[in-house]
Amino acid sequence: MRTMTSKAVQTAKVQAGSGASGSPATGPAGRRGGKKASMGVQNVAGWLFSTPFLVLFLVFMAFPILATLVMSFTDFGLRNVTHPLDANFIGFENYVNLFSDEKFLKSLFNTAYFVVIGVPLTIFLGLVVAVLLNNGIDRARTFFRVGFYAPVVTTIVAVAVVWRFVLDPSDGLIAGLFSEVGLTSPDFLGSETLAMPSMIAMAVWRNLGTVMVLFIAGLQAIPTEVREAARLDGAGVWQEFKGITVPLLRPTLLYATVITTIGYLNVFEEPFVMTQGGPSDSTLTVSLNMYREGFNFFHMGYASAMAYVLFVVIMGITVLQLRLLKDNTK
Amino acid sequence: MSRTARNATVGIATAAALTFGLTACGSSGGDDVAADKKQTLTVWAMGAEGEKLADVAKVYEKANPNITVKVTPVGWDVAHQKLVSAAAAGTLPDVAQMGGSYMGEFAELGVLEPVDTKTFNEKDFFPSGWQQGEVDGQAYGVPWYVDTRVLYYRTDLAEKAGVTKAPTDWKEMQDLASAYQKKAGTKWGLSIQPSGLDTVQNFYSFLYSAGGEIVNDKGEVVIDSPEAVKALKEYGSYFDKGLSNKSVQPGYDVVKDFGNGRVPMFFGGPWHVTLLNEGQPQLKGKWAVANVPADKSSVSMAGGSSLVISKDSEHKAAATEFIKYLTDTKGQADWYKRTKDLPANTAAWTSGDLADDTNLQVFKKQMDTAKSSPSLSNWTEITDKVDQAIAKVTQGKASAEDALKTAQSEIEGLVK
Repeated sequence: MRTMTSKAVQTAKVQAGSGASGSPATGPAGRRGGKKASMGVQNVAGWLFSTPFLVLFLVFMAFPILATLVMSFTDFGLRNVTHPLDANFIGFENYVNLFSDEKFLKSLFNTAYFVVIGVPLTIFLGLVVAVLLNNGIDRARTFFRVGFYAPVVTTIVAVAVVWRFVLDPSDGLIAGLFSEVGLTSPDFLGSETLAMPSMIAMAVWRNLGTVMVLFIAGLQAIPTEVREAARLDGAGVWQEFKGITVPLLRPTLLYATVITTIGYLNVFEEPFVMTQGGPSDSTLTVSLNMYREGFNFFHMGYASAMAYVLFVVIMGITVLQLRLLKDNTK
Repeated sequence: MSRTARNATVGIATAAALTFGLTACGSSGGDDVAADKKQTLTVWAMGAEGEKLADVAKVYEKANPNITVKVTPVGWDVAHQKLVSAAAAGTLPDVAQMGGSYMGEFAELGVLEPVDTKTFNEKDFFPSGWQQGEVDGQAYGVPWYVDTRVLYYRTDLAEKAGVTKAPTDWKEMQDLASAYQKKAGTKWGLSIQPSGLDTVQNFYSFLYSAGGEIVNDKGEVVIDSPEAVKALKEYGSYFDKGLSNKSVQPGYDVVKDFGNGRVPMFFGGPWHVTLLNEGQPQLKGKWAVANVPADKSSVSMAGGSSLVISKDSEHKAAATEFIKYLTDTKGQADWYKRTKDLPANTAAWTSGDLADDTNLQVFKKQMDTAKSSPSLSNWTEITDKVDQAIAKVTQGKASAEDALKTAQSEIEGLVK
């Protein structure tokens, strides 16, 4: 999941970078004494080069985003697929209904549960693994790095097959361990209380790699001189970690937390392939709920409203995180 | 995780974009081309049917040189979304295969051409097959193949358990399930789904056999009827007594567990015959099929696919001819040979394997009484409520009465 997000961020960065390096190019043209024509040509060329991107962006991003917003204020349903203009504007009705919809509230709660437990776990374990790999193991470092990163690039269907085997209450891996000591394995995915923690465990395992890679990069960016200086001053391993590593790793920590949170707020694949939201909606997340309302039941207007509520929640939390974590670094 | 979620968001948005953008394109179908003119028919078919239909199309083209049939196989997993998007964009193929549960939706969308009843006679087909293509008394689809669920059971293990004949009613089935477990050492007695999407498909054989329904002929919701309660109690008792697995995940393969003897009984469709013959050859002669054990009577669900013609098609005459070719007696028998799909045309059952094979006769007998779901446009949503009621009972969260009472009021809100 966050391979995607991080890619998107990288592209965004690249674009921002090229934009910045592109703008001074208009400088010389201006200095050449107001040759409007050449500036015009440059502008045209600029627009021309960005047209493919702009067209794609408008058609596949801007317009759908806007259309979803419009749709969220309508009762767009199945029959409107062929007669979209028959959809009625119903104001904020979808939004109002959402907050009295037990199923939606439950999915909101489940998502929050997933994020509140999942994000700290992922970040903490990712950091631990990264620090261990960076300092401890010298020989098999590459092996472990690949090992921890492999789940990130494995398709969810393959992951599901493995995890189903691990969690299967009758002859799974964990069930085997339980029976070794004469106990019966709990039914992880079939139990309302255990299904969500199982989902979280799976997600943490799957996303640890991304966070780990970020942290390793962050750790390796810390200049060795700083560490050496600290050591000369007599700092122990713990002091070095607390005084040097953590503060210098803050930007990475911030970035990792934000993208993990966004990813987990959108959690869809794990429950979709493992439990379909069950048992009794205990693993129904907002994204899965939205998918089902939209594509199983064709409540497009309602699903769009859900998408926007999720969007607002994600934006709110991200802004909050950026504020809180950034202020600390000062 | 977020990739798919994002796809969902974008998908919803794209649907909107498509629909807002392409309203003008819903043409009313131009001039129809006569059947004997040179033309190309576009056909969409799903899954295995999509692959095999291309072969049949080649044979058809030889006999009708003026027609080129272009078959596009569509995966079942994307079929529904592809068809809806095509309907929205006005780009449906001339002929499409459609699952029984889709009919209500697409009829409501108004994109299907009514069946030409002069060419296709209702009496030639299994009643439930024909009903699947009908919406509000109007036929939109010609039944292509049918399927129904019957009881698959291990005869070798039954012998071990001291039972020599197939269970015919609920009591015998439950006795056999526990005999399997106790005397033949199987892990479970019967494989039925405890929760999750489409659990209702397993429940149908209980519900219908007890004389219950979700929505009756008059369009009234009757899921809280005493018959339905009785059926759900019986269904739930398999989980209470530990005869059925409470934890079945999406993607569970019952054939494998049937093969290794952990599951000695399950309700399966005709395709399971092929799956068992090919995937579990060691089981040859060790299993049999039986009609759904009866309560009031033995009634199973009917499924299958119909062939529809798009309202916008300009090749309706040729499309009708092609569908006729696929659904007449000869075409149906040929189709069975290629795919093992059960013919919807009853006359096709009178010769060859279809007439002689004892397993197939069990399917035929089940088909005679099998019941198809009402063609309501929001049927998925309605059955989802029943799925939830079943889940509550199998997980021990509610009694059958309470769970169905909730489902009743929820579904009433949906049927209006």
